[in-house]
Amino acid sequence: MAWISLTRAKEVALAFIAYIGELTLLFCRTIVMALTPPFNAYRFLSQAQRVGPGSFLIACLVALFVGMIMALQMAYMMIKLSAEIYIPNVIAVSLTRELGPVLTALIVAGRVGAGITAEIGTMVVTEQVDALKAFATNPVRYLVVPRFLALGVMLPVLSVFAVFVGVFGGFLICNYKLSISAHMYWSMVSEALVMKDIVTGLVKTAFFGMIIATVGCYEGLNVKGGADGVGRATTLSVVRSFILIIAFDCLFTFIFYFLFNA
Amino acid sequence: MIEIENLHKTFNRARVLNGLTLRVRAGETKVVIGRSGAGKSVLLKNIMGIVRPDGGSIRIGGTEVTTLPERAYDAVRRDMGLVFQGGALFDSLNVGENVGFVLDEFTKLPADEKRQRVAHALSLVGLGGIEEMLPSELSGGMRKRVSLARVLCMGPRIILYDEPTSEVDPITSDAIQRLIVAMRDRLKVTSIVVMHDMNAAYKIADSIAMIYLGQVIADGTPDEIRRSTHPVVRQFINGDALGPVTDDESMRFGHVK
Repeated sequence: MAWISLTRAKEVALAFIAYIGELTLLFCRTIVMALTPPFNAYRFLSQAQRVGPGSFLIACLVALFVGMIMALQMAYMMIKLSAEIYIPNVIAVSLTRELGPVLTALIVAGRVGAGITAEIGTMVVTEQVDALKAFATNPVRYLVVPRFLALGVMLPVLSVFAVFVGVFGGFLICNYKLSISAHMYWSMVSEALVMKDIVTGLVKTAFFGMIIATVGCYEGLNVKGGADGVGRATTLSVVRSFILIIAFDCLFTFIFYFLFNA
Repeated sequence: MIEIENLHKTFNRARVLNGLTLRVRAGETKVVIGRSGAGKSVLLKNIMGIVRPDGGSIRIGGTEVTTLPERAYDAVRRDMGLVFQGGALFDSLNVGENVGFVLDEFTKLPADEKRQRVAHALSLVGLGGIEEMLPSELSGGMRKRVSLARVLCMGPRIILYDEPTSEVDPITSDAIQRLIVAMRDRLKVTSIVVMHDMNAAYKIADSIAMIYLGQVIADGTPDEIRRSTHPVVRQFINGDALGPVTDDESMRFGHVK
């Protein structure tokens, strides 16, 4: 029995390594193709339009509620310590460095990543990807590069808006519930934030966007079977994007911690 | 023009092509027949380089293509067109954009000339004036004809047809057959046509090859095939359920689309 579990664990580990290897290969091929001509601005812009405006409202709405919840939850503890004045600092830093990028990435992975997998998966099932190859068109250049660039550029933009709205959500609670004045709140926020917080948040978000595009396209391009296969690939795409976003967030936090605090 | 020697292809454990050998002369229309799942579509995809063979050789215009890297293969592909069984039109593009896909991707023609060439290709398949329609608004037969127009727009020297007359009405089927013949007579296009319809095959073929168990078991003119004494060929062209080919044969041997 133990031997069977060991064999199974080995198989799972090998499959995981192979999966990460294939994702890395697609990631690298996409970057190479994104940097070599021919370039197609139209395809990039049409994908950017789908990613950005389409996800703007939901990302801002979630950020607004998260900002409000954070203010309320912190007030619960901070009031006991008479430290409620520091709530704006904590909200600004945690939203800019962590929650804004990660929450926006998770929302976009669920909304856009799943859509990418379903669209490309359907193209595979209906032989449209084969048709691209038959017309001497590289599917990575035609399908993956525009989505990769669109997510890499638009996710940081969405994240900036989400962070701002989240901080504003915190302001609503601090101002109306905790009687922190508007001037005090915003000066605490601007005092708390330094350039490295903003830069690290944006770098992370751009990378999360690339992860979502790579996973979404990879799962779509590797669909097997018909509608059932597309459904399964879409679920896998969302789950794997979520896991990779959190894992890379942890990795980035480590790297930035040692880079800036060593 | 196209020389295929000892071609092998296996998907997982299903052996689909098992030492297939086939020759197509320049300007010839070769019809490939065989049961569903016999590997006819896989053969076309191997020729286009969409799937790569496990072994054997494919020479197109004297160039060995099985070992070509993708970029070099693309140069060969630009001289060939594949009409897919289901059309394989790009859902996100309208009919005009589908037909002009290659012109948009690989040429810098003025927009007016592109429009004219697209309109001409569509008129050749009897579908003029539908440039603005989406693939989802077309019937199965129309999708197939638009797919053919998309290939014609490239002006290829070789066209591969994957069941061009299946799922279309008899009148459209005849129109497509006439078009295939016209492409050979007027433009000297070399064609490989995969189909089951024997009447259509006799009508358009210069030669007919039959695939069975991953190999070509008969290859000759329509008359030679009609007079063939090979029991499998006889069973197929007569459409007999009883004979050497059994129902579970495809389960034993491949059956990969």
